[in-house]
Amino acid sequence: MLLADTLRSTTFKLALVAIVTFGLIASAIFSFVYLSAASFVRSRSDQAIMTEYSSLRGAYERSGREGLIELIRNRIADRSSADDVYLLVDSASAVLAGNLDKWPSAATAAREWTEFRAPHGPDAASEPLFRAMSATLPSGDRLLVGTDISDLDSFAAKIRAAVIAIIFLMFVIAVVASILVTQRTVGRIESIDATSRAIMESGLDKRIPLRGSHDEWDRVAENLNLMLDRIEALMGDVKQVSDNVAHDLRTPLTRMRGRLEKAYHGERLGENDQALIGDTLADLDAVLRMFASITRIAHIETQVRKGAFRNVNLVEIASEVVELYDAAAERDGTDLSLTGDREVRVTGDRDLLFDAIANLVDNAIKHGRAGGKIVVVCENVDADAVIAITDDGPGIPPCERDHVFKRFYRLEQSRYTPGNGLGLSLVAAVAHLHGARIEMLDHSPGLQFKLRFSPPAS
Amino acid sequence: MTGGHRRILVVEDDPETAGQLTEQLTSSGYQVDLAASGGEALRRGASCDHAVITIDRMLPDIDGITVMRQLRDGGVAAPFLIISALGEVDDRVRGLRAGGDDYLVKPFSFVELLARLEALGRRSETIAKDTILRVGDLAIDLISRTAYRHGKDIPLLPKEFQLLEYLVRNEGRVVSRAMLLQHVWDLHFDPSTNIIDVYVGRVRRKVDDQQAYPLIHTVRGVGYCLRAPG
Repeated sequence: MLLADTLRSTTFKLALVAIVTFGLIASAIFSFVYLSAASFVRSRSDQAIMTEYSSLRGAYERSGREGLIELIRNRIADRSSADDVYLLVDSASAVLAGNLDKWPSAATAAREWTEFRAPHGPDAASEPLFRAMSATLPSGDRLLVGTDISDLDSFAAKIRAAVIAIIFLMFVIAVVASILVTQRTVGRIESIDATSRAIMESGLDKRIPLRGSHDEWDRVAENLNLMLDRIEALMGDVKQVSDNVAHDLRTPLTRMRGRLEKAYHGERLGENDQALIGDTLADLDAVLRMFASITRIAHIETQVRKGAFRNVNLVEIASEVVELYDAAAERDGTDLSLTGDREVRVTGDRDLLFDAIANLVDNAIKHGRAGGKIVVVCENVDADAVIAITDDGPGIPPCERDHVFKRFYRLEQSRYTPGNGLGLSLVAAVAHLHGARIEMLDHSPGLQFKLRFSPPAS
Repeated sequence: MTGGHRRILVVEDDPETAGQLTEQLTSSGYQVDLAASGGEALRRGASCDHAVITIDRMLPDIDGITVMRQLRDGGVAAPFLIISALGEVDDRVRGLRAGGDDYLVKPFSFVELLARLEALGRRSETIAKDTILRVGDLAIDLISRTAYRHGKDIPLLPKEFQLLEYLVRNEGRVVSRAMLLQHVWDLHFDPSTNIIDVYVGRVRRKVDDQQAYPLIHTVRGVGYCLRAPG
């Protein structure tokens, strides 16, 4: 990836704004620390000079010029005050006492505090920096008391240098770090980008590579990959459905075409024609019903009907279904019964729930054992509402169970029983709309379908 | 068939469908007025008193529901049968809520349409206030919810009684499977199996077995009809 890409990226621009902001704040903090440290040190040394000046002035008040000269000489002789400078001159600027050669020109009568450089100490070549206080005594003599502040000065200079270095380093590290982070981000986006382009160009089989770092990028990539899996599965379903529709539609349409052709070419015989037309109408009705079921399922899947949900008693609906199918069960010699709790409430659409339960009962009658037993149980299990429909027929092989909810899917064994392979798709759509789980359990022998309605998590 | 006027207003914009309807309704003894647009429907509906008005939901100019509302507001009392390609429940509910009396989804069979027209047309006639209804030697008591044939009690489950009552109330008229589902079970969809036939079969056994003559007759391709011989 080009550096130019990195510099253009939004992440980098945001990083830059952050760097400048924090840099300015850090600089302000460091400057403040520097200035207050320097001024603190300076005020301490000024205070020492002032104390010294007051004690010399006191000596002058007490014992006059001679006393003062004496004291200055003592101070100079004292090794502990080697950094201090003293100077007493008369009104003609002749040196009376002190360890400076001459009155520094910077120290005028007008200014109390002066800073100057002057030769001092054993190494005459160096001219350290002094800070001093000077005053004119009542006799016209002038007194100067000061101290070497070279160390102080170089200390401040070091702090200054350190602060500048830190700020500079901070900027460099921040810029480098943000370039690296941006490159990483842009890189991950780039790989997602590349995958989506590849998908648009060639097909849904590509996936975004994971780095195995389990970071947020991996999570995004994982979710996008899951989404792609889902889309691929749905596309597969659609293909499967269109194949099945084509098959299921072609069969009756071919039959109808054959009959019409026969009627068209054959002799007009009232009875014959009526039978042909009657069969054709029946097939046509089957095709139309299939379309109605498809649109019905599609409509349920749009979730529009959630708006009309009411609190309903599952037991009431189930008993109406059982009553409706009672006659059909009786015809097959099947024992159809309803047991369980007397009141199992769910929030839902009565018509759709009726339809779903009716389909499950219908399946149980059609695919169960003739002369067998079908039990419908409505129960409150913990907070869930559960309805279970159990038959004692041949059941569904475990490997087929994931498929039976697909539209038009039919088990080989039931390819020729009436029905259009949409019943369980409808059950699945209704269950999904109601947030209910479908469980398919072995009931050896037989099969149990369970719809489990969990109350919405509040 | 009942007396009274048998004039029907058909509001349908597709000329072929309209032609088929006119032809078949005329041959069934109805007098048919045809309107091909909402505007025409408003004019014709207001100008003449019809037994039933059938109206398509989707018309070229004005929506069928709007036409229906305007006619109702204009004082037209005839029952409306909405015919529409929009079959889902909320379309149906919207249509019925807007003042429709029944709803038929395209495509439909003509016999189904005829059965519903008969049922709607009868609504404007006087409704019997009797609590015991009789057809031939069958009597049903609406209060005790019991049925008798030739004075002998017929044991019926509540829904079976409801089904028989609906057939008796529509005596001599064809009742379609969809109408039974709608009126007896309050279901507005087709469970797409022969479940109704099986159910009616059982009621028929209870009502007609070992009797002098059958009352419940199957009408091929449509549904059922309850009538006494003669």
